[in-house]
Amino acid sequence: MSSFAVLAIAAGLIAAAVPTRGSRTHRLSLAAITAFVVLAIGWLWPEGAATAPAAAKEAVEGADTSPSILLNLLIGVPIGGAIALLFLPRQMLSLVRGFTYAIFAVTFLLSLWLLSVPMTDGWHFQYIADWIPIAGIRYHVALDGISLWLVVLTTFTTPIAAFASFGSIDKRIKELCIAFLMLQGAMIGTFLALDLFLFYVFWELMLIPMFLLIGIWGGAERRMAAMKFFIYTMAGSVLMLAAILYLVWTHHELNGFWTFDYLALCQVVLPGVPGTISPQALCFWAFTLAFFIKVPVFPLHTWLPDAHVQAPTGGSVVLAAVMLKMGTYGYLRFSMGLFPAQAAHAAATLAGLVIMFGIIWGALCAWKQSDVKRLVAYSSVAHLGFVMLGLFGATTSGIKGAVLQMINHGIATGALFLLVGVIYDRRHTREVSEFGGLAKVMPVYATLFVIVTMASIGVPGTNGFIGEFMVIAGTFVSERLNQFGPIQAVAAAFGVILAAVYMLGVVQKMFFGPLSNPKNKTLKDISPRETLALAPLILVIFLIGWFPQLMLDRMDAAVQTTRLRFVNTVLEVSPNPKAAQAVPPGVFSESFLKGAPKKPSADPKKKKVAMRPTKRGGAK
Amino acid sequence: MSDSVFFAIAPLLVVSLGGLLLMMTEVFATRRADADGPSSDLAMGTFITMLAGAITAFALWLVGPDNLAGAKAVAPYLLVDRFTLFFDMVLCLGGGIAALLAGGYLPEHKLDRGEFYPLLIFSTAGAMVLASAGDLLSLFIGLETMSLGVYAMVGFRRGSMRSTEAAIKYFLLGSFAAALLMYGGALLYGVTGKTALAGIGAAIRAGVSSTDWGILLLSMVLILAGLAFKVSAVPFHMWTPDAYEGAPTPATSFMAVAVKSAAFAMMLRVLISVFGDPLSTSWGTGWPPVVALLAVLTMTVANLVAGRQSSVKRMLAYSSVAHAGYVLVGVVALVEEPGTAQGSIMFYLLSYTVSTAGAFGALILCGSRGKEAVSYEDLAGLGKRHPAVALIFSFFLLSLAGMPPTAGFFGKLYIVSSSIGAGLHTLAVLLVLNSVLAAYYYLRVMEYMYMREPAAGAPIAVPMRSGYVRAALAICAVAVLVLGLWPTSSLSMAIDAALALR
Repeated sequence: MSSFAVLAIAAGLIAAAVPTRGSRTHRLSLAAITAFVVLAIGWLWPEGAATAPAAAKEAVEGADTSPSILLNLLIGVPIGGAIALLFLPRQMLSLVRGFTYAIFAVTFLLSLWLLSVPMTDGWHFQYIADWIPIAGIRYHVALDGISLWLVVLTTFTTPIAAFASFGSIDKRIKELCIAFLMLQGAMIGTFLALDLFLFYVFWELMLIPMFLLIGIWGGAERRMAAMKFFIYTMAGSVLMLAAILYLVWTHHELNGFWTFDYLALCQVVLPGVPGTISPQALCFWAFTLAFFIKVPVFPLHTWLPDAHVQAPTGGSVVLAAVMLKMGTYGYLRFSMGLFPAQAAHAAATLAGLVIMFGIIWGALCAWKQSDVKRLVAYSSVAHLGFVMLGLFGATTSGIKGAVLQMINHGIATGALFLLVGVIYDRRHTREVSEFGGLAKVMPVYATLFVIVTMASIGVPGTNGFIGEFMVIAGTFVSERLNQFGPIQAVAAAFGVILAAVYMLGVVQKMFFGPLSNPKNKTLKDISPRETLALAPLILVIFLIGWFPQLMLDRMDAAVQTTRLRFVNTVLEVSPNPKAAQAVPPGVFSESFLKGAPKKPSADPKKKKVAMRPTKRGGAK
Repeated sequence: MSDSVFFAIAPLLVVSLGGLLLMMTEVFATRRADADGPSSDLAMGTFITMLAGAITAFALWLVGPDNLAGAKAVAPYLLVDRFTLFFDMVLCLGGGIAALLAGGYLPEHKLDRGEFYPLLIFSTAGAMVLASAGDLLSLFIGLETMSLGVYAMVGFRRGSMRSTEAAIKYFLLGSFAAALLMYGGALLYGVTGKTALAGIGAAIRAGVSSTDWGILLLSMVLILAGLAFKVSAVPFHMWTPDAYEGAPTPATSFMAVAVKSAAFAMMLRVLISVFGDPLSTSWGTGWPPVVALLAVLTMTVANLVAGRQSSVKRMLAYSSVAHAGYVLVGVVALVEEPGTAQGSIMFYLLSYTVSTAGAFGALILCGSRGKEAVSYEDLAGLGKRHPAVALIFSFFLLSLAGMPPTAGFFGKLYIVSSSIGAGLHTLAVLLVLNSVLAAYYYLRVMEYMYMREPAAGAPIAVPMRSGYVRAALAICAVAVLVLGLWPTSSLSMAIDAALALR
């Protein structure tokens, strides 16, 4: 551990020396960020191999003692902060900003605490409380190795987005802070909720701040883009709501009590054989549609370029880094978790769809864009195609790669949007043709842009490489994709090449060649504030690129469980076209079912009467 | 004392007596010319009367309607059960909020005449009679008492052509609807020889001859049409936008909230007690397909038209039509899941009451005399100029749009749930898709408030200052939040109330 402290000091000194003309605060902040990242590596570094099993064993026993209040704090602090902010005077800008930073800092530190618990099999930090007992709705939040990283990603990128926004936005700062805080709370809640009602509440709650972010601080067409974003997402999610309610009713028919709990609803297999139109298929598609819109998967992606282009830089960063992950996370957790048979059946077709229209067509679209931000937006379609591909393949390597790629995309695309924001603030245009030879006037900016581009196209040594490699490797051997696996892997690899083509093409056009446009001759290089916003992202690019095991280790158990549950349910439950059935006991592990709702034993008569009196009582 | 008949119908008596008292006070009140108008004290008096009514109803709820011996004396004209008491509370809430809104609105717009408050109270009393009526006669009396007051309130702005037009339209169509209902009731009496709803229902269940069945169907259609007028279901909604727009906003709020709730109470009673037999509730020969068609038309048409409005008040009018459509989905679900569906309808009406009254209240708050907020453009930039007003307006709009964690969301969820439980999957899907359509026009208000600047030289709405309106909004906002986040107790009350009516 002490060696890391030395390393951290050394790294901090180097970072302080990097800026050629930086002020003292600039140097200090950079040094602090760098040292912090190095310390984090040291902290996450696995202890000696000999002690590992002992530590794991200890962890299994200690898992229950993990403070369950932590997740409530993670959700509650930002939302509470947003409400408290309503009462702060809007004229005191520094107070409002400082308060927001403080809340973000608290949330981030709380989320680092999550990393201190070894991510063994099952749920961690579980907290369950009755919320609306009459309808079986509980407040149930818990964490596993998959949601862990997404929560950390959220608490990590939202402050950066807010920090960057404060640099370029000077109107209605108070509302901006409230929107960011609400957004963060709702996003964290979405990743943590294990009760479908709670999940839906957070899922919808997230839309309003984003709607405001795009609509108030966005570009010229912001109102249209905000509306489109909202309506698109809501259209998907209301169908999901109907499907949730159908599942809840089926569970009630089977087991005689009401619950919205994910762990209970997982055990319900709706009637239907894959390949036919049945309740199971319809509910699967209702869920999947909601998630596909969010991802977005072709042909449901048309809201994304508009939303990204019109949103302010900070909004784009959060949208790309976290909100799109809601779709992929939702597919992994809910579509695959609740309807494994359908997901397995549709996997091969859907994989073909995302390769053809996500990875390749998205890349081709990105290639043809003249607006840099639009280009990055389309590149998101392509990158999230890889994530979906990993999920469809449903191999261990594929799912791990997909989860890692979710983080990678968040980091790299977030950084790209920040970089595009930098040039937009200076020139108020994002047309590629307006630029050229920028490397001569903005050398630091150009360097950072190239680094992030490398991460985005997956050059070895950066984070993008690891994720894409694992996804493609997983696709190659996947059983789900039948004989198409290898072909699809090759096609996906082709998409990686296309990514290099369009990203490097734009880098070449913008930064190299002659400095032809006279307007660009006086551009200032990247400011200290902008470097500070980018520094953590760039450090994390290399952190994941060099030490991916730090992340993969912690998601390992959760991915194994998820995959096994998915595969076992497909194998062991024979489809029944007529009636709903329950998953036989033993398919799901004990640790997975920890905290699942039990049938209420006390006073069952009253419960039954309360929700549902005898059928056709009025008629006969 | 608890077996006294006065005790059994106490909520109704409290409200009526309060109304008489306030009317007399107003008659003998002497005011100096420079003093505040009658609203200054009548609004509070009316609110307290309504509050007393609601509290009495709640007290009777705690006592338990079964323990009220006096209730038998007024049955079947007035039925005192949990269903009645629940609606008494909802109606008093709606009327009380309307009174508070009027307390701010009337003086601001130079309409400050004392008649408004007695009209409001007696309308509410009529609505309460309607909700508790167990006999065709009392039902009709309640309906007319309620409607006459509302007709007068709609035409309250006598100098305005629009208001007068609205009143005439509403009066004509309302009388027409009442006539249809009356005719239907007369046919029912002709077939069964009874006027009590339970008696008619029993007679129908006992079996009627095939000729009588034809007459019965005719009466069913007539009654449904009359009810559809009252709840303003498409295609019987034509009066709604004009009447809602022309009326003073507190009266609009009362119409949207209390009149609609009372009409749904009547609808539930009639459909369950009279037409609850297997034949009438079957999809081949009864009312479910008709109501389902009404529901689909109402939701879809109202939402599509609401999106095209340029006046916010008119948009809210169409939105209230659309909400009637959602409730009608719950009414169809009555056939298969009587308890859950009724609970969901009643909870929905409660949540709809607070959200809609809040939205109209926020609209009132947005405008002052001569600078009223009518069109979307008037609201442009309000979020910047008056953030608190815009915030509270957005909150109610989001509740109407059914966004969590508000009352509107849980209400909608519960209606969808009951219709899915009843096997009406298509209707449920149509309902949720319609709520997406609806989100568009609610969000458009937010868009104007937060994302636009007023055009140069355009009229700008200036929010008014009124403690009454603020108090009303505070009540609604707290109710919307509480019903959305902790609906358990109100939900179990709604379900208990639903059980009473079977």
